[in-house]
Order: sequence, then structure tokens, then C-alpha cells
Amino acid sequence: MKTKRTIHQVLAIAKTDFLGIARNRTAIFFTLLFPLFFLIIIGFTFGTQGAGETSRIRVGVVNLDREETIVNGTVSQNSTIGDAFVQALRNANFTVYEYMEYGDKETNGTAAYDISRRKIKIAVSIPANFTESLSFRYVDSSGRPIPTKAHLILYTDPSDPTGSLIAQQSILGFISGFISHYQEVVISQIPETFQKYVKVLVDPITVSTNEADVSGRRLRWIDYMVPGTLGLVLLWSGLNHASVAIANERTRGTFQRIVIAPVSPATVLAGKFLSCLAIVYLSSAIMLGSGILFFQVNLYWNLPAIVLSIFLGALSAIGIGLIISSLAKNVEAANAITVLISVPLQFFIGAFFPLSVMPRPAQIFGEALPFTKLVNAIQGIMTKNLPFEAVMPEIIYLTVSGLILFALGIIAYWSSLKRL
Amino acid sequence: MNRKKGDTESVDLNDVEVDSVTKRFGETVAVDNVSMNVARGEIFGLLGPNGAGKSTLIKMLCGLMSPTSGTIKIGGYGIQDDPVKVKELLGVVPQDIVLYNYLNARENLAFFGRLYGLSGSKLKNRIDELLKFTQLDEKAVKRRISTYSGGMKRRVNIAAALLHEPQVILLDEPTAGLDPKNKLALWEIIQNLHEEGKTILLTTHMMDEAEELCNRVAIMDRGKIIALDAPHQLIKKVKMENTITVVPDRITPKLTEAVNKISGVKRSYRAFDENEGVESLKIITEMAEDILPEVVSAVSSAGTKILSVELSRVTLEDVFILLTGRSLREEEERYL
Ligand SMILES: Nc1ncnc2c1ncn2[C@@H]1O[C@H](COP(=O)(O)OP(=O)(O)O)[C@@H](O)[C@H]1O
Ligand SMILES: [Mg+2]
Repeated sequence: MKTKRTIHQVLAIAKTDFLGIARNRTAIFFTLLFPLFFLIIIGFTFGTQGAGETSRIRVGVVNLDREETIVNGTVSQNSTIGDAFVQALRNANFTVYEYMEYGDKETNGTAAYDISRRKIKIAVSIPANFTESLSFRYVDSSGRPIPTKAHLILYTDPSDPTGSLIAQQSILGFISGFISHYQEVVISQIPETFQKYVKVLVDPITVSTNEADVSGRRLRWIDYMVPGTLGLVLLWSGLNHASVAIANERTRGTFQRIVIAPVSPATVLAGKFLSCLAIVYLSSAIMLGSGILFFQVNLYWNLPAIVLSIFLGALSAIGIGLIISSLAKNVEAANAITVLISVPLQFFIGAFFPLSVMPRPAQIFGEALPFTKLVNAIQGIMTKNLPFEAVMPEIIYLTVSGLILFALGIIAYWSSLKRL
Repeated sequence: MNRKKGDTESVDLNDVEVDSVTKRFGETVAVDNVSMNVARGEIFGLLGPNGAGKSTLIKMLCGLMSPTSGTIKIGGYGIQDDPVKVKELLGVVPQDIVLYNYLNARENLAFFGRLYGLSGSKLKNRIDELLKFTQLDEKAVKRRISTYSGGMKRRVNIAAALLHEPQVILLDEPTAGLDPKNKLALWEIIQNLHEEGKTILLTTHMMDEAEELCNRVAIMDRGKIIALDAPHQLIKKVKMENTITVVPDRITPKLTEAVNKISGVKRSYRAFDENEGVESLKIITEMAEDILPEVVSAVSSAGTKILSVELSRVTLEDVFILLTGRSLREEEERYL
């Protein structure tokens, strides 16, 4: 009887809260559609670029592999694999500019100059010992090959982080494709005795700027961005709404009126939590649905994992929202604080572009945010089709931070009850 | 404590019992050692100017605030010991209109009804009854509250407190800000609830309201109850049966001075009649008829002309002035 009444109360509070958004155009926009607005604007501007449309990316190649290099004390000049790499870049439809033809030792500098005047977006420098490394020419005194990694260097345009990022992502994707695809081809071109060494090397090429994409699929930027917007959903639907949910009632006087009825503050909280969750899930569905509709993204649907990840992320968002809602004097203050938090935060969660383009301190900060973890987890599950175990670190982080922030939210809420 | 004979000698059951209740906000003592009882079926008025502590007392009665000291019982249940029972017994109409603007009247009532555990056909029937009570027409019921007039909102605001058929109804300044027509309609609503046997405690800063509606009135000033009795008893207690209301063409210090010099004048004060738009000088006295000629000559000797003179019975407003030395309206204007 008592439980039944409590359930009625929770549902009534949740429904009324939800209607407060559903019947207010401004609230619909800011709470439900704001991330969509971002997705569409940014998505249509650059999102469809990526590995799928490489011809727009102008790549400078400094193929030093054609230069002489010293191997085992003697001069060697072999560019078989370097040339194959450049040819593969062309085959992959990148617009390739080669800086080798003039035999210029300063070609890295020339490429940098061309980046600065925006002739090319990115440059790949192939080392002089590229072929030699990959074909095991380095030997020790007893004649056994010394495994030597080939090291590519990417140069990007610091004045255009977004463009650089797209180019970088594309090249990294290409390199990973090159590795797997050319393992067989390259191996067949080198002396048979070395083939087995190449085959056992899991990671024959390292790159200093970033890790190569392990996914075999050709992914566009938008394929990351659409699931990534769920991080924005947490900020805009979760945090934003939770932060006004209580403050609203308090400013209106309805909070007092609710607790004059035989309704416990815990019941009010449960109703608000339920409505916040409903809004987060609804907004998530809108985002993913729009992604499919507008950008034909191809996502993987491990639904229980997705629902769980969003729930855990929502705990953090709602927790922070509750803290703001409880401490703020009124709705206006709550709103102002939320905007102050969520507007800058949305750039640190890796929703629009990977954190790798950010300066190091920003990366560290971004990595610590639960919203970033949600973005990583969801991108892992939906874009890369990783098994749930693979996103376990993110899930654990989300659980811990969710529980802590939500507990803090409850404490703030409880202490705010004293000043009705 | 203050249980007086009043109109309710037959009833011994008190629905509201306030015993030595004090509420402090830092330095401010908003409610100062207040004790009072409201008998079942009674309309009890808390009368006092803005800032007297009426709302604070109401908030403590409905459990929104706990008293700094003292105890409160509703329907015999201690508010601290049995809050759920108390909440079920109470219907509270807040001073401000507290409704969801984006919901219509029916949805608002449904929401508050569900908070009290009503559902299904019982809830629906109760809402229908109360919608009738609010006298909103069919179309208005379906519109959002934000489109309602002040009077409509106030009626829904009251209806929202009555869904669960509470025995004790607290109304905080129910008619504040209403035009005379809506005010009368509200008085009728309160009278009807009274006839249903409800116990009603209302606060007001309007004398006529307290005099008209209440079986008993407690006059509150600066957190204290300074008088508590039936309205006519209060008036009798000050023994000033009459006032003389003089409307001169202007009120000068010289005039008031001259009037106050007349022996038999207990007190005089300026009053502004909003309906007539005239300022008058009210003179409280035990012997209105005897001193009337002196008053008239005092007015003319002060160089002012008399526009009208009226003898009338003392009102609660006069009682308040005699008790506190201040006018209710002065206070009101300061707060506006
Ligand atoms: N929450 C509060 N904090 C501090 N002071 C308050 C608070 N509520 C009321 N007061 C003060 O208590 C006094 C009584 O206020 P109130 O009960 O609202 O009077 P009334 O309802 O009779 O106009 C006033 O001086 C007011 O300023
Ligand atoms: Mg008040």
C-alpha cells in the first residue's frame, strides 16, 4: 500500500518533470536537441571525410628511402618498400605530392613550408632505412638479423587542428591497412629466409604521432562522431537537465508544496532521477537515429552494453547536476553554472575530435572526465565493434565516478533540504 | 492556554495545538513564544501586518520548517513524531500560487492528487468535483495555467490543497491581490468549507476579512500574539465602541494636533480609503456623539473644511492600532 503510493508519487513527479521539457520549446532545444544541432553542423562540415574520401587530402611524401644509408657499416640504397608505400598512398586515392624527385636533403623543411602555405595538409617522412629495416638488412657480428623498426614521421598543420586531424586519422588508417595488406606482398619481395621474421612481427612499423587505428574497416570521422555525441548528450540532457530539475521546483515553490504532501525527499529525488534518465535515453536515441538518417553511419548494436554504458555515464552527469541544483540559489544561477561547465567541457570529451589533437595538459584533463570514458566506451562498442570486455576499463571508471558523483549529489541534495 | 469561550464552547477537540512555539532566523525572532489552539470546525484567523510571522507559523504547522522550540500538534498527532499522518490531515494553500504553469488545471490537480496516493476513478471523480468548485469553464480547464487570470489561478491553487479531503485547511493570505469580486467569491468558498465541518486556519493582513470570516482571531505583531478572541469580543475588550471618521479637504499637522487635544479622544490616525480615493482622519473615542461638536470646531479652527463626517463602530483595524500604536496599512505600504 505504502510502496504503491510511493511508486505513484515517483511516476507523477517524473512525468511532470518530463512534461516541463516536452512543453517548452527552449527546453526541448537545449535539453534534447542541442547535441543534434552540433552533430549536424560539424558532421556536414567535415564529418563525412576520413578514410572513405582520401582524394581531398593532400599528402606530401618525403621519401628519404631513396637516399643512401649505412647498414652494417656499408652504404645501402634500396627504396623498394618506400616506393611501394608511396604507390599505395596513390592507390588509396590520396592526392600525393612527392618531395623526393629533386634529391633535396632539405625536403622535410620544404614539406613543412608547403604545409605552412597550405599546399599540403600533412606530410609523411619515410626514413632512409625504411626498406632496409623492413627487410632485415641489419645483422649482428654473427650474421643474425637485428630486428629494426621503421619509423615514419607525420607533420601536421598546427594552424588547422581539425583539418590536420582528419588527415592524420586518414593516414593512420592507411598505415594500418598498409601493414596488414603489405605484410604478404612485401614478404614475397624479400629473400625467403627473412619472410618468417617479418611474419612474426606484430607491429613492424611504429609512428611517432599517434597509434594506428586497429580496426580493419575504413572508418569515416562521422562514424566516430555519431556515437561520440552521446558524451554531449550526457552534458546537455543529463547534466543540464539534472541541474535545473530541483532548482526549478524550488524557485517555483512546488518543491515545498510537494513535500507538504506525504512525499519524502527521497521520492522526489527518485522521480527526478527517472525523468533525467528518460531524457538521456531519449536524446541518445535521437542522436543515433539522426546519425543513421543523415550520415548513413554503420554502427554495431550491442544493446545491453550500450544501455549500461549510458546509464553509468548518466550517474555522473546527474550527480554533478544534483550538486549544482542543490547549491544554486535559483534556476537562473543553476543554469548559468551549468552552461559555464558544459560549454567548455564538451570540447574535452573527444566527441567532435579525438583528444590527441589537444595539448598534453588538456588531454590529461579530458581523459579524467567520465564523459570522455563514455565516448571511448561507446565508440569502442558501436564503431569499432569491440567486445564488451575490451571497454571494461572505461566501464569500471564510469561505475566508480558515477557512484562517487551521484553520492555527492545526494549529499548536496540532502543538505539543501535544510534551507527550504 | 488561550482557549476562550468564543463561539465554540461545545467543542473540546482541538485540531491545531501550538504550544510555546518560537522560530528564530539568526537574530530575527520571526515567531516569539506563540501558543494557541484551533478547535475542530472553527475558522481561525491570524491577523497581522506583513512581517508579523504569520507565514513562518504556517510553514511550521505544515512541517516545512521545524520550530526552534515548542511543540505543534495537528489532529492530535505531533508534527515531529508522526509527520506522515499530519501531512495527510493537512491541506495547505500557500501564500503564492504554486502550480505548474505548463500544465492545465486538470493535470495540476491530477499531479497533486497522486502525491496523496489518489489514483484511478477515485482521483478522476475528485478532480471533477474540484473543477466544478473552481468554476472554470470547459475550455479553460484544457488550457495551461499560464493563460489563467489571477482569480482562476487562485481557485485552482486552493483546489490543489483539497484533493485528499483534508480535515484541517491552512490558507496563507488566500485573498491577497484579489479584486473585490474575486475576494467575495473566495470568502464564499471558505464559508462552504467551514460548513462542511473543516477546521480552517487562515492568515490575513486585512481586517475586514478577519472580522467577516473568522470565529476567532489572533492578532500577531512582531512574532507575538498580542490578542486572541472572537472579533466582536476583541472589539468589546477595547471598549471603544465608536469611531468618528472625518474627511477634511486636507489633513494638516495643525489639524491632528487640535483633534488630539480634545478630551475623550483616545487616538486619531489617517486612513486612506482606496475605494473612494479619499484620505480621512479617524478618531477613536468612547463618547463619539458627545465630542462631535468639538471635533467639528477643531477642524474649522485649523483652517480646513469638512467634506463629510461619519460615526461608526470600531473595527478590528482600530483594535490593532490601539494595541500596537501602528496602522496595518502603513506596514503594508512599506512592504509594497
Ligand atoms: N527564511 C527566512 N530567513 C530569515 N528570515 C526570515 C525567513 N522567513 C521569514 N523571515 C523573517 O521573519 C519575519 C516574519 O516573516 P513572515 O512569517 O513571512 O511574515 P508574514 O507572513 O506575517 O508577513 C520577517 O521579519 C521575515 O523577514
Ligand atoms: Mg506571509
